[in-house]
Amino acid sequence: MMKRLLAIGLILVIGYWLANGLAGVPFGEDRMLVGQYYLDNVKQQTGAINAVTAVVVNYRGFDTLGEVTVLFIASTGVGALLWRRKKERTAEVEGSVVLTTGTKLLVPFVILFGSYIFIHGHLTPGGGFPGGATIATAFLLLYMAFTAYEIPHKGFEKTEGVAGMSYVLVGLIGLAIGGYFLFDWIWQTWKIGTVGELLSGGFIPVIYMLIGIKVGTELSGIIDNMIKEGVSE
Amino acid sequence: MNGQYASLLIALPLISAFFVPLLKGAGKKAVGYFLVVVTALQAVIATLVFQQVYDTGKPIIVMAGGWKPPVGINLYIGHFAALFVLIVAVVSFLVAVFSLRAVKVEPIDKYAMLLLLLMLGATGMIATGDIFNLFVFMEITSISAYALTAYNKTGEAAEASMKYIILGGIGSSFFLIGVALIYGSLGTLNMAHISELAWTMNPTVAEVGLALIVFGLAVEAEIFPLNAWAPDAYQAAPHPVTVMFSAFVVKAGLYAMARIVYLMKDLWNWSSILRLLVILATLTVIVGELAALRQRNVKRMVAYSSISQIGLMALAFALGTEAGVDAGVFHMVNHAIVKTLLFLGVGYVALTLGGTGIENFRGLGRRMPVTAFSISVGAVATVGVPLFNVFWSKVRIILATLDVGYTWAAVLVLGASVVEAVYYFRLLHTMWFGEGGERRDESLTMGLIMLLLALLVIAIGVYPDYVWNIAQKAGNDIFNVAQYVKNVPLMGVGA
Repeated sequence: MMKRLLAIGLILVIGYWLANGLAGVPFGEDRMLVGQYYLDNVKQQTGAINAVTAVVVNYRGFDTLGEVTVLFIASTGVGALLWRRKKERTAEVEGSVVLTTGTKLLVPFVILFGSYIFIHGHLTPGGGFPGGATIATAFLLLYMAFTAYEIPHKGFEKTEGVAGMSYVLVGLIGLAIGGYFLFDWIWQTWKIGTVGELLSGGFIPVIYMLIGIKVGTELSGIIDNMIKEGVSE
Repeated sequence: MNGQYASLLIALPLISAFFVPLLKGAGKKAVGYFLVVVTALQAVIATLVFQQVYDTGKPIIVMAGGWKPPVGINLYIGHFAALFVLIVAVVSFLVAVFSLRAVKVEPIDKYAMLLLLLMLGATGMIATGDIFNLFVFMEITSISAYALTAYNKTGEAAEASMKYIILGGIGSSFFLIGVALIYGSLGTLNMAHISELAWTMNPTVAEVGLALIVFGLAVEAEIFPLNAWAPDAYQAAPHPVTVMFSAFVVKAGLYAMARIVYLMKDLWNWSSILRLLVILATLTVIVGELAALRQRNVKRMVAYSSISQIGLMALAFALGTEAGVDAGVFHMVNHAIVKTLLFLGVGYVALTLGGTGIENFRGLGRRMPVTAFSISVGAVATVGVPLFNVFWSKVRIILATLDVGYTWAAVLVLGASVVEAVYYFRLLHTMWFGEGGERRDESLTMGLIMLLLALLVIAIGVYPDYVWNIAQKAGNDIFNVAQYVKNVPLMGVGA
């Protein structure tokens, strides 16, 4: 009881302190120092309509490369910690016919929609991370509905690696052509596409496709690792 | 020469880590040697960068995507970053060589990826010039550290990693809130730009934001109340990983903290933040040393000793004077060398004799003379005996502390050093005068690495001037914020 009261008291003090700090940042006031620059120049400099993806992939692409790495570490870490020589699914109850049939019908559509999201990252809300997560839900569905389903491991791991390497390679090509790492050579040097059409946005769609594939395979791999149990030989 | 090639420091470990899954089919040996080759390449690039920065005296500004800061993200590889990126790369190379022998637990391919990414994270944290990018690299570092801590899959390791992950998670959320507050009030994330505008900030916002950021980084930097995870993690992690933790992961956190605190120099209540840090740092030293005194496990003992040394560096950085910062950087360099030596030695003994308990070290002088000699050099150096490198940096830190007038802090820290001497000499006594078992064969590579490091310890101890000069330049990089801001080619935005 005493402990709980103390904790509540402490949280209130911290909350008050934080609120005090937040009060110094008035809501809704114009704080667009760098932000205004992005809004003013995004179309002409990156060829993308979606300012968020342009900032995330192009202006601050370094962060996104880092985030992709964080996800990669998460899936590698889960893989390392749950590693067993032999693992099997231990699910016992097969889904009902309605569930299995529904899943069979649904999976291609989910994958199609996921791909749509990451291919149109520079035009519509979304991008590689939501698209990849959507694709992973398709595999989650398969795992939930069928007791025997397994993703093709070897292929998935290799695809994940290749997608990540290609992202870095795109950046290195930028270093070779434009002199800067992650330089958008497709838009800045070659000027391919018209703003607003599918073929535009420089390397944003290319990178988002890679991220989509990578995130999709990674999350599926995490699900696979967590859902299986080691069996003694 | 165009400095943009320095971005390879980030790109190379990244692309190599992504390549490992493709290499997996080639066998365990191949993965191990791949790790050695990549870290060696990284060391070569880091050496080139180091040479360029110290030859020209100008920092390398890497602009990702070719966008000028603050619109894009820049890496700032000045004197400090060049020096520490080199240390990170060289230590990683030594660790990779040690891993060939030390890590037999499966899955080795995942271990290689995590190790490369830990190196990448520390490099990025040290090099970045953008506060949100710092957060991303901190996440890379800490998440790979969580996974590597639990890598041995024992109950002990899982518990250590659990503690670390919870504390680290809370710490990085606080850091993120701090970044959000600063962005909310200034509208920029670039460190140089923040420093330029810091005086316009609402003092309450600045205080809360800075406190949150310092709090978040303190978990990584092992400052007193937030370092409870560290001894467990050091003890439970695979031996090569412990070397990396102590040699550069902590220092990346500590450096980031020092960098951000010094950027905010213009705040009205800056000195009160420094005073708080001085108190915490002194406590870190004392608690670390007293805890080390009672340990029966040598690896844990060295871990506590490492924490208290970190406290000493934090104290030096918290003084707020140029002499203090220089001494802190000098101590960072010396500590990196000494603790690499000690943890390599202890890890190697544990591998050969099975375990890090004190009983395994009895009579080590006769059983494994080369290893015992190297550990002794490391132990004597850590205590701060003259003619070894740590002596000079400890003296400088104490002098700088006295200069500012923190006599109590200097006295307490010196007292803690006496405690340190007690347990290190106890270890030396067990090693050289204890009853020992039979002679063991020692590996040539490990012996060479340890002897080389021991030689380095003594060389810096006898001729400290060369490294001291480097440390002064690197310290100036942190202390002289005006120069830092001037070196970053900010484009005029908004103003």
